[in-house]
Amino acid sequence: MPDAMISIRNLSKWYGAFQVLTDCSTQIAKGEVVVVCGPSGSGKSTLIKCVNGLEAFQKGEVVVDGISVGGPKTDLPKLRSRVGMVFQHFELFPHMSVIRNLTLAQEKVLHRSPKDANEKGMKLLERVGLAAHSGKFPAQLSGGQQQRVAIARALSMDPIAMLFDEPTSALDPEMINEVLDVMVALAKDGMTMMVVTHEMGFARKVAHRVIFMDQGQIVEDCSKDEFFGKPRSERAQLFLSKILQH
Amino acid sequence: MSYHWNWGILLAQEPGGTGTYLHYLIVGLGWTLATALAAWVIALVLGSFIGTLRTTGNRWIVRLGNGYVELFRNIPLLVQMFLWYFVVPELLPVRLGDAIKQMPPPWGSYVPAVLCLALYTSVRVAEQVKAGIQSLPRGQTFAGTAMGLTQLQAYRYVILPQAFRIILPPLTSEFMNIIKNSSVALTIGLMELTGRARAMQEFSFQVFEAFAAATVIYILTTLVVVLGMRWLERAVRVPGLIAASGAAQAAH
Repeated sequence: MPDAMISIRNLSKWYGAFQVLTDCSTQIAKGEVVVVCGPSGSGKSTLIKCVNGLEAFQKGEVVVDGISVGGPKTDLPKLRSRVGMVFQHFELFPHMSVIRNLTLAQEKVLHRSPKDANEKGMKLLERVGLAAHSGKFPAQLSGGQQQRVAIARALSMDPIAMLFDEPTSALDPEMINEVLDVMVALAKDGMTMMVVTHEMGFARKVAHRVIFMDQGQIVEDCSKDEFFGKPRSERAQLFLSKILQH
Repeated sequence: MSYHWNWGILLAQEPGGTGTYLHYLIVGLGWTLATALAAWVIALVLGSFIGTLRTTGNRWIVRLGNGYVELFRNIPLLVQMFLWYFVVPELLPVRLGDAIKQMPPPWGSYVPAVLCLALYTSVRVAEQVKAGIQSLPRGQTFAGTAMGLTQLQAYRYVILPQAFRIILPPLTSEFMNIIKNSSVALTIGLMELTGRARAMQEFSFQVFEAFAAATVIYILTTLVVVLGMRWLERAVRVPGLIAASGAAQAAH
């Protein structure tokens, strides 16, 4: 794949003697939406945190838009500023207003003027339906609203790709859809997305590919239809039967 | 007990001829505040710096910070005061040491007192800053750096503003402590409030009046600090922050 936006090659990572990732390889093309799923502790979150260097790894290579994440001369802050990330617990900055959450990095990292940053921020808040809340503080919003702000915050940097680390796992059930709707719209706009999630409905709707992980290894890496049709590994079949039963 | 009470002594002239005893004590309060405030500024800056360094994860920097903290935390304040006044000038190059010893009063006592209180308090501030930073979810650093902030920027804009809000109440106690601890400087000859209360007692033999007045002045001063810090806490309060972090902890 010559136009790979994210390329992971033979990635291995250890916490001390414990190996969390074993020889993981995959590629994500520009505009592709890839869902990463698997049982807890399988290394999904660790894998996507390696993509923007939030987690260091000991072996293998991660290349984002032609730049090696683990390279000794890589400007990690610059690389990270081009890759948006959304966290399970939102991680909005609680001491800043919603709009300030969106403008801080625009001003400090991209050196946009406060006026430009503000305009961009308000545009994105409108896009996620929260422009009316721009002056509030994160703790005054519901979980679903906070996560939508977090997505808008990541988008404010004009990222070339977006990483989602279980974006709906910390939400009350009735708030999951408002977040998924934003993500679906983003996927349809052609954003390159790597999404760790158990929301199989989302995967069916917009994913191009599904990666299934177990015990630090990529067990399945196939198209959505293949995955939901008949996953090859027993482990993935078992996983699907467990989460799709109800 | 046959004690001759005489509250009027406060308005009597002190033998030095500078004014009343009350005025004499108030000037002492001035020196107490000048000592405590200068030391507090240094302690805050130094303590924040060292407390922050101790959370960076760099093994050697953390060890260095820990060593600094243990050094100044494990020696009694009075001993440190004597070390700064009697010992440190002897350890310095002769000319510098002599220059320090020849500083005219009150500076010869004031400077060592400020340094002593500043370093003694800085390690306590450092401990609190470290605890404040470590009480924040690790995801906050992730979120900051994931957007391209450098580690320094993440501390400056994301971590420290939250940590300082959390540790404002214990910092209030430290601020009050440094005012009260400055009384130890009387042992190296600084005529601050306690030193002057003692002098007043020696001149006038009105021990109860002298120390009652000093006590009231100390209480009023620390009361002002408490009220000021409460105002500061309200001024920087973030809507819902404490409640939200509690809820986030529960959700984890």
